Amino acid sequence: MNKILEVKGLKKDLGTFSLQDVSFSLLEGCITGFIGLNGAGKTTTIKTILGLVLKDSGSIEFFGKDMNLNERELKNHIGIVFDEGYFYEELTLAEMKSIIAPAYSNWEESVFHKYMEHFRLPLNQKISTLSKGMRMKYAIALALSHHADILIMDEPTSGLDPLVRSELMEILLDFMGNGGKGVFFSSHITSDLEKVADVLILIDKGRIILSEEKDVLLDTHGLVKGEKMALNDQTRELFLTLRETNYGFEGLTNSKHAVRQQMNNVLIEKPTIEDIMLGYVRR
Amino acid sequence: MKIIISNTSDSPIYQQIKEQIKDAILYGELKEGELLPSIRALANDLRVSVLTTRRVYDELESEGFITTKAGKGSFVAKENLELLLESRRHMVEVKLTEAWNAACSLGISKEELISMMGLLFEEGENE
Amino acid sequence: MLLHLVKKDFLLSKRYMKVMLIASFAIPIFMTFKVDFLSGGFFPFFLSTLYIQYLLFNSVSMLEYKYKGSALLCATPYTRKALVKSKYLFILAIFVCCYIVYTITALLIAGKIEMLSISESGLSLLILSIIFGAIIPVQYYFGYEKSKYIFMFFIFITPFVFPFIIKVVQANNISFQMMLPFPKIVQDLFPFLLALVIGLISMTVSIRIYSKKNL
Repeated sequence: MNKILEVKGLKKDLGTFSLQDVSFSLLEGCITGFIGLNGAGKTTTIKTILGLVLKDSGSIEFFGKDMNLNERELKNHIGIVFDEGYFYEELTLAEMKSIIAPAYSNWEESVFHKYMEHFRLPLNQKISTLSKGMRMKYAIALALSHHADILIMDEPTSGLDPLVRSELMEILLDFMGNGGKGVFFSSHITSDLEKVADVLILIDKGRIILSEEKDVLLDTHGLVKGEKMALNDQTRELFLTLRETNYGFEGLTNSKHAVRQQMNNVLIEKPTIEDIMLGYVRR
Repeated sequence: MKIIISNTSDSPIYQQIKEQIKDAILYGELKEGELLPSIRALANDLRVSVLTTRRVYDELESEGFITTKAGKGSFVAKENLELLLESRRHMVEVKLTEAWNAACSLGISKEELISMMGLLFEEGENE
Repeated sequence: MLLHLVKKDFLLSKRYMKVMLIASFAIPIFMTFKVDFLSGGFFPFFLSTLYIQYLLFNSVSMLEYKYKGSALLCATPYTRKALVKSKYLFILAIFVCCYIVYTITALLIAGKIEMLSISESGLSLLILSIIFGAIIPVQYYFGYEKSKYIFMFFIFITPFVFPFIIKVVQANNISFQMMLPFPKIVQDLFPFLLALVIGLISMTVSIRIYSKKNL
């Protein structure tokens, strides 16, 4: 599969926080979830990829082209949704659009209006009057009206109610079904990604901890419960996290198969993405 | 065609999907030449990754069950009788192995098991 | 593309536009009638333009700071360079608007308010380009918050330094005429040219500064 974005050895020192050798790639046709706790470096990574934060070293290539050398051309193919929106709140939706639209060489007004109608957004209202959910939909309308190939979203679901979040997931799947080449989507709410992501990338303290297909993660990891008797020096090695009580143990393994072979009488349950994320972060 | 993914099953997600599509082809639920859903559509419906459905289709294709035409999609392959028979035979073997395993763990003897099989055949003839 | 970014600044300062429009009529009229010791159109025009330009520039900067809109704009194909350039164009556009309004005022109240001569317009543009040529890079360098205090300090010391500056300008005027044996038209156009050069230098500096900022 083609790589639509390849990040190599990205470093950025921001004093109190730094990105340390961040490398990953996005595959064509995939929705990639970028997970991590608050402050793990998700927003900084995204901003660095987009050139809003200047990198100290490393390379960023979209569709095989260097971002630094082809910034304007490449940004024409990217749709952006930021958590905070970064909108001029005092402008109306129509005014804000009239600023953003001319930036893109392939902006299509009819597509934008279709989204505005579909989302029931009031063109002549000020952005400051919009609810969080409407604001996110407006950001998506702006991001998808110029035939973007790749959609980059920073925490689009934070602060949204479950209904709007599931609507957003539908929008993403529609985008991918209608010729979108990829979605890169950061979130600390992993249940959203559980439903739609194809690949998951986990970042913690400015480092990439994990980059794997979602289904492979769910297949290889397991929540194991059982009596403490089952634990010995060898089997302990199989666990990322292990919690022992007077009554038994509970732990997350990244080699479910080995646990099944080496440990008898244990209960193996399917973990959630959140279980897996916490397992790696706490380690 | 029904596909049910079990969260408690030992076999990986792609394996489960693959086996169920294979079954659908073997039982004739999916007809020869029929268009299969796209990788993305199947992934969306099953809530699994496109990488998983892609792997399923890739393996089904390499095993000769489906063919993929670029830009058109994946189709159930022209029935390859030998392949199907072989596959069905294999399935019987698998099921029998399961039955044998269960029998062993319950201490059922070879004679008993064979007579159970005989009973099934008799019932089948009576119907 | 640049023009759309200038339009953005006008949209952002829309709230103040009406007040500023009235101010650009009222200030020159008020100054001409109330302050008799001034002669010519230079001071009324220059001061009202400076006042309006600074207030609009500041209000736009405040909103930019508040909403961080430039982060979104820079994530689109708009370049940082274009963002900086548009800021200078915005200031120039306000100058042109003020000039037009002043001229209309002078035509309406003929005889009382004097039209601007070419050299007076040139001098106004020159001084304004020196002022904003300093303000804009300073703001890009220090950011809105810090530079606000710097500008306040300068506004505070203006009454003390202003008479001195006027003297220097007058002295320079004389020396221009002595040094440059060119026809009058060239001498009239010289301040415009100088203003343009200062603007371009300042713009280059601002672009350099802004290209290294984390948004």
